[in-house]
Amino acid sequence: MPEQQPSLDDSFIIPIGPQHPALKEFEYFELRVDGEEIIDVSVRLGYNHRGIEKAIESRTYTQNLYLIERICGICSHAHTTCYCQAIEELLGVTIPDRARYIRTIVAELERIHSHLLWLGIAAHEIGFDTLFMYIWADREIVMDLLELISGNRVNYAMNTIGGVTRDMSPELLDNIREGIAKLESRARFYKDLCVEEGSVMQRVVGVGVLQPEDALHLCAVGPTLRACGIANDLRKDDPYAAYDAVSFNVITYDGCDVASRMFVRIDELIESVRVIDQCLHCMPPGPHKVKVVRKVPSGEVVSRVEAPRGELIHYARSNGTDQPERYKVRAPTLANMPALRKMLVGGYIADVPIVIAGIDPCFGCLDRMSLVDVKTGRNWIWSSDQLRRHSLTWRQQA
Amino acid sequence: MATAGMIIRVVILPGILLLCVLAFLWEWLDRKFVARLQKRHGPLYTGPAGILQPLADFVKLLAKEDIETTEADKPLFRITPVLLLALPLVGLFFIPIATVTGLAYFEGDLILVLFVFTLLVITIFYAGWGSADRFSIVGVMRSTIQMLAYEVPLNLALIGPALAARSLSISEIVQWQSANGRWLILSQPLGFAVALISLMSELELTPFDIPEAETEIVAGWQTEFSGRKLALIRLGEDMDLVLASSLLVALYLGGPDGPVPGLGLLWFLIKAVVVVFLFSNLRAVFARFRIDQMVNWCWKYLVPAAIGQIILTELLLA
Repeated sequence: MPEQQPSLDDSFIIPIGPQHPALKEFEYFELRVDGEEIIDVSVRLGYNHRGIEKAIESRTYTQNLYLIERICGICSHAHTTCYCQAIEELLGVTIPDRARYIRTIVAELERIHSHLLWLGIAAHEIGFDTLFMYIWADREIVMDLLELISGNRVNYAMNTIGGVTRDMSPELLDNIREGIAKLESRARFYKDLCVEEGSVMQRVVGVGVLQPEDALHLCAVGPTLRACGIANDLRKDDPYAAYDAVSFNVITYDGCDVASRMFVRIDELIESVRVIDQCLHCMPPGPHKVKVVRKVPSGEVVSRVEAPRGELIHYARSNGTDQPERYKVRAPTLANMPALRKMLVGGYIADVPIVIAGIDPCFGCLDRMSLVDVKTGRNWIWSSDQLRRHSLTWRQQA
Repeated sequence: MATAGMIIRVVILPGILLLCVLAFLWEWLDRKFVARLQKRHGPLYTGPAGILQPLADFVKLLAKEDIETTEADKPLFRITPVLLLALPLVGLFFIPIATVTGLAYFEGDLILVLFVFTLLVITIFYAGWGSADRFSIVGVMRSTIQMLAYEVPLNLALIGPALAARSLSISEIVQWQSANGRWLILSQPLGFAVALISLMSELELTPFDIPEAETEIVAGWQTEFSGRKLALIRLGEDMDLVLASSLLVALYLGGPDGPVPGLGLLWFLIKAVVVVFLFSNLRAVFARFRIDQMVNWCWKYLVPAAIGQIILTELLLA
């Protein structure tokens, strides 16, 4: 995003970031305030840029599985699902039915863990640490399930090109059934709690409003968009994995505020439990993966997945070798960034943490940087050496 | 001899030493209570059940690097942490802890203690202003606005016991309660509730921790303080908790008065623990207010409640 010209008026600037207790990762929001009211926000990205796309292009398809798993700690399964789908399409491989179901189950468990994590963070951002502790204690149920399934709490390494790495035993399915029943009752409890607790509601109702037309215009995705009353869910619109075989509702609320985003996520917990339950019932027997060749024929493909935070897009171009020629990741947080500015302006400083948290940002997923001269619109690329030299001269000037 | 006795009383019992022990003990109790309410363990390893944790934190902070920013207003920045510890101590000298009279007392010391509460906020204002940091300045602005909201109900509520006992001296209010054999919480429950809530905002406890809201403005007015200064501020906050709980015990719960006479300090401590538990419980069950909501709420509900209590007290006395 272009850097905003520093204005010469005497308005007070509050920096949120690059390091700030409200942000779990590094990003910079420069708030121009008048008392407690926010007049303008400038968002600077790039503090958490790790050059993953470039790294992907210099590794083989198998090595990339491990790298892509680590784009994001929370939605690692969504990223690998998206990657595997893309490469499978390039290879022309159809994965076994059982693998499709296992992918769906893990994806929904991941959604539950991500939404519970978000709910806890939201409670912490509005200063309700007791709720935060309670939710994170219950999140352990789903973390334990994921550990039972894959051996890991995050970065499950379940996906592989051509299927999934591990099968699920009947005892494991029983464990999952038990766990999700507990999670469902806890989700209902938290929904009642949030509705009834006045001190929570007064911090989220009418806060961070994003009008539906703005949401569409600025390409918001996921729960942020669904909280504007727009039913947009890739699992319904463009089913992948086993989503075409299960029935579930796309949750929408039309409050357009943080409260709606909160309720969308809580209700999605319950829907996820429904999806997992159906998958457990009708999971077909059979192999869980097929063997694939190492070299991918040339072509290009776009793959989409509904990650917990919204629509995730991966683009891959292959050239017949065992390494991708170009790989591009569009994380849902990047799509929600422009809408964030709309939500913040006109609000209070006190609402900034919960509004930023409201889109469930994951800066590790989204971060990228490009060098642009705002005056001329010139765009260029620096090598790491040039970047280092620039940082040294910048430091001397400062 | 009289002078030596006075020095012992000021320095050791029930003076500064006891108060410091109480400050650390109350912080530990508060942390333990809140942790248990949040399904956590709280302090665990330092001393039995982590009882020495607040002391360990204090000593650790004393030993840490003390950073002063170049922009800071040095005299203000240095003097305010000391004042923030000294002021609650001054207030505590007027509150009867072990016996029915405080270390010092005169007709009108209740007003002085109320003034100490105001001075604390003004000191906080200078502390934040002196550190010349963006977050500190937003923090002290919030702190002062918050004072405008809770100070009126607090003072109105604390005048209730004075009206009932026909005295402006805390020691005499305590004596009146033990002479009449009934604690003022029974006749003024509403006043007690208002005082409790107002003191929570004075202590900056959730939901009134707006001036130091971590996720919004880092540590608020404390952001720039470190090392020894932060240690003094932390101890001052604990002392503030001791002052607030002692004041409530003295004015509403009969002070050191108890079923078995002669054990004044014990009864006082038991009651103070109950008050600390009330504070901890309340701070665990709410989300933080926004500053506008807090001011709104205080003037809409707390002030009328405090005035209502005074009218009721007057009617009952008449």
